[in-house]
Amino acid sequence: MTRKLTLAGAVLVGLLTGCATSEPPKPQAAPAQPAPQVAAAQPAAAPAPMAAAMPAPPPPPAWQQGRPASMADSRLAPVAGKNTVTPASEIPLDKLKLPPGFKIEIWSTGTPGIRAMSRGASGKIYAGTRGLGRVYEISDNGKERTSRVVVDKLNQPAVVIHKGNLYVMAVDKALRFDGIEKNPNVAPVDMTAAFKLPPQQHHNWKYLRFGPDGKLYVPFGAPCNICALPTQEYAQIRRYNADGTGMEVIATGVRNTQGFDWHPVTKQLWFTDHGRDWLGDDGPEDELNRLSKTGQFFGFPSCHANGIADPDIKKDDACKGVTLPVRTMGPHAANMGLHFYTGKMFPAKYRNMAFVARKGSWNRTTKMGYDVVTVNADAQGRNPVMTPFITGFADPAANTFWGRPTYFLQMPDGSLLLSDEQLGAIYRISYSGKK
Amino acid sequence: MHYIHTLLPALALMLASAAQAQQPPRLELCAACHGPQGNSQNPQFPSLAGQPKIFMENQLVLIREGLRDIPAMKGVLDGLKDADLIVMARYFSEQVPVPQPGPLDAERFERGKVLARGMLCGTCHLPDYKGREQMPRLAGQHEAFLRAVMEEYRDKPGPGRDTVMTNALGGLNNQHLDDLAHFLSHVK
Repeated sequence: MTRKLTLAGAVLVGLLTGCATSEPPKPQAAPAQPAPQVAAAQPAAAPAPMAAAMPAPPPPPAWQQGRPASMADSRLAPVAGKNTVTPASEIPLDKLKLPPGFKIEIWSTGTPGIRAMSRGASGKIYAGTRGLGRVYEISDNGKERTSRVVVDKLNQPAVVIHKGNLYVMAVDKALRFDGIEKNPNVAPVDMTAAFKLPPQQHHNWKYLRFGPDGKLYVPFGAPCNICALPTQEYAQIRRYNADGTGMEVIATGVRNTQGFDWHPVTKQLWFTDHGRDWLGDDGPEDELNRLSKTGQFFGFPSCHANGIADPDIKKDDACKGVTLPVRTMGPHAANMGLHFYTGKMFPAKYRNMAFVARKGSWNRTTKMGYDVVTVNADAQGRNPVMTPFITGFADPAANTFWGRPTYFLQMPDGSLLLSDEQLGAIYRISYSGKK
Repeated sequence: MHYIHTLLPALALMLASAAQAQQPPRLELCAACHGPQGNSQNPQFPSLAGQPKIFMENQLVLIREGLRDIPAMKGVLDGLKDADLIVMARYFSEQVPVPQPGPLDAERFERGKVLARGMLCGTCHLPDYKGREQMPRLAGQHEAFLRAVMEEYRDKPGPGRDTVMTNALGGLNNQHLDDLAHFLSHVK
């Protein structure tokens, strides 16, 4: 028995090249890993293997890699998404709590799986999805919103509209729809070759933004929960010229960023990042980071959160040279969209304050996140104070949730749109209280 | 007392219409392959009885839109709205599964059992393999169907396929799949 356990441990360590995530995982295709001799984390009660007849068990699924034998009986699993339309009447918005003077209302529904949004000059809003593979266009006639699918069957597409052209990037494809607001049926320009997208799927769904420098920023996540990177194309943020040329890696050691924005004063890039899984309920926490210099290293895989050395991918002085976060954002909370508020509708204290949507945990026995928080720090990220802004998407007493707040979009009137990936809806946050 | 008299008929009417609303569209068409009450009589086609509702809803959307490409399902769901698919999913999730496994091979069953444990299939599909939420019931599903669909997951990853499963099955050889399918079809 002792020998078996040791072997299992060795196999587990040998396999820490896999995947798990604060996001529901979408791991890469068939890893070509050698079959180990003994199943990792095999329960002690399992019958003795029949040496001759027993085929060698396969490696553990990638999203479970890094999971210790002590958690073999865990039933923590990715949270179910919802592919079907949720009517407004089934959205319990009255459960949400905001600070006094703020109001939240349903702005649009009927777009299952909606994630990051981008608004064109005409007011049309474009948004991507993950497993559903759709890109939506939402039109507003001032009274009500309607939507259509611009393109579908893509592998986890994200979008951004820039100078009238819609950029769509999926795990394995980059498309541009020129002048789409005026020409809804325009055929896309295929730019896939120019972007040289790496092949792994896991954590490689995209988030797209154009920076103040006019370049296209896009993250490439670590293709695993925790691993030594298979190649150097991952765990980084890059920027490109709009046509896919001039690629630069601007940040490394970034496990899985799902959102970023530029500070309104310094124009520096701030970004969210998800911590690794299977190290227990309380850590390592997600991160809110600030890039103060091109090329900074943010610690993955050996250093997490505010300086926690990884127990699996060990390195001497694991956190040496690592840019630590502005603030940790909660264990497994899945911090997503980040938006610095620059509008005039909200009270002055919110100006330049960071809004962060925390989509909520799966790799944790009690729900964490499922809310919107503000982080108030100075322009250099000092003295960060995190405050709940919207709560009520989860019911802590019952350990259940109904919505997953995901991304923001600031409207010209200063109101803030918030997408709910779970219910396929967009909510509008406005302020009408005293200023 | 008086108001109960007024309310009861209204309540009865509501319940009746709710029961009627649960009758899914195209039920006969479903039954042609998936069997009475979703208990398939043909080992090539999956049983739907007792599958988790969210799993059914999400798969029906993917199949309707061709994201998950199943030749036998082509066109079958055309024109159905999400609300129709939800009614379908609810109906089948509420039916009682009546497994009809083939002859048992104790050795293969045992091998499959050990494999499934080692792979921690029960984390998501639950230790009794009855499934939950977006993760299907495996216990008592047809062996031939399980075998075929696991091979698809393993060999044809892509949009609309659950990449978690693609990854979970990535390292398996064909004998692993045979044993797993045999075990799961017989597990009670």
